[in-house]
Amino acid sequence: MSHLLRSPGTLAALVVAAVAAAMPVLLPPSQVPVYVLLLLAAIVVTGLSLLMGYGGQVSLGQASFYMIGGYSAALLAVHGLPTWVALLAAPVIATAAAALIGVPLLRLRGHHLAFATLAVQLILLSLAGRQEWAGGDIGLQGIPQLEVAGYEFADDVSYAYLALAALAVVVLIARNVVDSRPGRGLRALATSEVAAESSGVPVAGYKLAVFSLSAGFAGLAGGVYAFFIGYVAPGSFPVLLSFEYVVMVVVGGTGTIWGALAGATVITLLLQLLNNIGTMEGMPAAAPSVLSYAVYGLLLVLAMLFMPQGLVRGLAFSSRLEVRWGTWKTISSRSAKRRRSSA
Amino acid sequence: MSAVLTVDSISRAFGGVYAVRDVGLTVAAGETRGVIGPNGAGKSTLFNLISGHLAADHGTIRYRPNGEERRIDRLSAHARARLGIAIVFQSARLFHGMTALENVMVGAHARTRHGFLAAALRLPRHRREEAGIKADALAALDRVGLRDWAGRPADALPLGQQRSLQLARALCAQPHLLLLDEPASGLRAGEREALAQLIESLRADGLTMMLIEHDVTFVSRLADRVSVLDLGRLIAEGTPEQVRADASVVAAYLGRETTGAAGWEATG
Repeated sequence: MSHLLRSPGTLAALVVAAVAAAMPVLLPPSQVPVYVLLLLAAIVVTGLSLLMGYGGQVSLGQASFYMIGGYSAALLAVHGLPTWVALLAAPVIATAAAALIGVPLLRLRGHHLAFATLAVQLILLSLAGRQEWAGGDIGLQGIPQLEVAGYEFADDVSYAYLALAALAVVVLIARNVVDSRPGRGLRALATSEVAAESSGVPVAGYKLAVFSLSAGFAGLAGGVYAFFIGYVAPGSFPVLLSFEYVVMVVVGGTGTIWGALAGATVITLLLQLLNNIGTMEGMPAAAPSVLSYAVYGLLLVLAMLFMPQGLVRGLAFSSRLEVRWGTWKTISSRSAKRRRSSA
Repeated sequence: MSAVLTVDSISRAFGGVYAVRDVGLTVAAGETRGVIGPNGAGKSTLFNLISGHLAADHGTIRYRPNGEERRIDRLSAHARARLGIAIVFQSARLFHGMTALENVMVGAHARTRHGFLAAALRLPRHRREEAGIKADALAALDRVGLRDWAGRPADALPLGQQRSLQLARALCAQPHLLLLDEPASGLRAGEREALAQLIESLRADGLTMMLIEHDVTFVSRLADRVSVLDLGRLIAEGTPEQVRADASVVAAYLGRETTGAAGWEATG
C-alpha cells in the first residue's frame, strides 16, 4: 500500500475518489441531482474522449447513444422486465446500435463524420417524437423504481452512488483499453492510418470498436438517467447536449481520462451558474439557452486558442507537476497539427 | 530455394499513366533483393502493391512465408501484415504522442491477437501477451541501438533515429518479408554504416528483404540480386555485377538523369 501512495498519480486518484465518494452526503440535498447529472456527463465524456482523443474521430451526436440507452432502459422496464436487466441492457443496445450505424458512418472522416453523427441524432429525435410506442413527444412516463437484488434506488443519494459506481467501471475500462494492444493500435491510427495498417492494425474495425465502446458508455449513463429522472422524452436529449459533451472533452483536454472528468465537472458547474443567472428575475425566457450556446462557443474558441491541450495538461504544465518539456513539445505540436488540419 | 514472393505481370496506373507496368519478379527465401531505378521508376509503387497500400489493376502476387503459397493481391494491408509482410516507409511515419517503446510495440500487432474485451478486463492471458510484446519491443529497440530512448516521446527523436525506430517497429512484427524503402536516404555516413551492418545481420538471420536504394554501391554491398525499374517497367535483373554491366541499365541512368549517373559511380 505504501508503495502505491508514493506515486503522485495514484495519490491524486485516491484523493479524487475519496472526495467524489463523500460528495453525496456532504452536498446540500437540493444539489445532489446536479451531482448525479455531472457524474452521468462524466461517463459519456470519458467515452467521447476515448473516441476523439485516442481514436481521432469526432462525434457531434454522442447524446444519441445517451438517448438510446435511456429509451432502451425505459421501454424494457415499462414493459415489465426486471429493472436491473433493463439497466444492463441499455449499454448493450447502445453499443449494438453504434456498431450497426457505424459501418456506413465511419467511412466518413473529420467534419463529414461529425455532421453525420449530428444527423443521426436529429433523425432519432424526430423518429422518437412520432412513435406511439416510444411515447411520442410526451415521452415515456412512469418508469418503475430501479431495484437491484432487493435494494430499491429511491433517493437522490442512492443514485449518486450508482452513478459513481458506473463512472468507476467506465474509467477503469477506458484506462485498461488505452494502455493495451488495441489501445496502442487506436492511438497509432489517430496519427497515421497507413502506418497503423501496415503494422497489422485493422483500422476500420478499430474505429468501429472505439465508436461502439464510447456509445456503450453513453448508453449506460442514459440507462441510469432514465431511472433517476423517471421519464424520458425527446426533449431530454437535445442536440445542445451533444455539443455540451464535445465542449467538456475539449476543455478538459482530448486523450486524457482525467481531462474528461475535469471537463465534465467544470462545464457542469458553469452551466449551473449560467442557469442561475439566466433564470434571474427580469431575464427574458430565452436567456438560459442563449447564454449556454454563447458560452459553449466562447469556451471552445478560448480553449483552442489558449489551452489546446486542455485544462488538465495545461494546468499540470504551468504548475510543473507532471509534464516534462519533451512531452509538452509532443503534445503542443500534435494539437497544433490537429488545429491546422482541421482548419 | 523456394520463392517467398512471386509477383506476376503486375500493373498499376494513375490517371492513365502507368506507374508500374507488367512487372514480374520472384524473391527467394533468405534473399536480399535490391530494387533500383531513376526517380519515378515505380519502385515505391511496387512496394505499396506488395504491402497492400495500393491495389493492382492487373496481375497477381503470391506469397509463401512457410510451406503454403497463397495469393495475397486482394488482401488488405493489415491482413498482409498479419501474414508477415512488414514495410519501412521512406518518410518517417511515427505515431505521435507515444513513447518510442509504444511505437515499436504497435509493430507486434501483426502477430498478436488480444482485442478490446481482453484488454478492458485485463485478463491474465492479455497481461502475458503484453509482457511478451514489451520484451520483444525492447529487444527490437536494442537491435537498432535505441534502447536508451525507450521511454522518451518518439517525436523527440532526431530524424535518423526516427528511421531506425520505424525499422524497430517492423522488426517487432517478426516479419517473413521486410520491405525497406530507401532506408539510407538522409542518413549521415556513420548512420549508413550502422544501417548496412544491421541489414547484413538480418540477412545472416535468414530474413527475406527487399531494398529500394538510390546509391548503387550501397545496394551492391547488401543485395544478392538487383531488379532495375525504369518508367514502371522491369528493364533488368541479376546479380549486382550483371546489372552494372547491363547496357539498358546504363542507358536508363545516363540517358535521362545526370544525378542518377553521378549516383551510379558514387561510393556510399
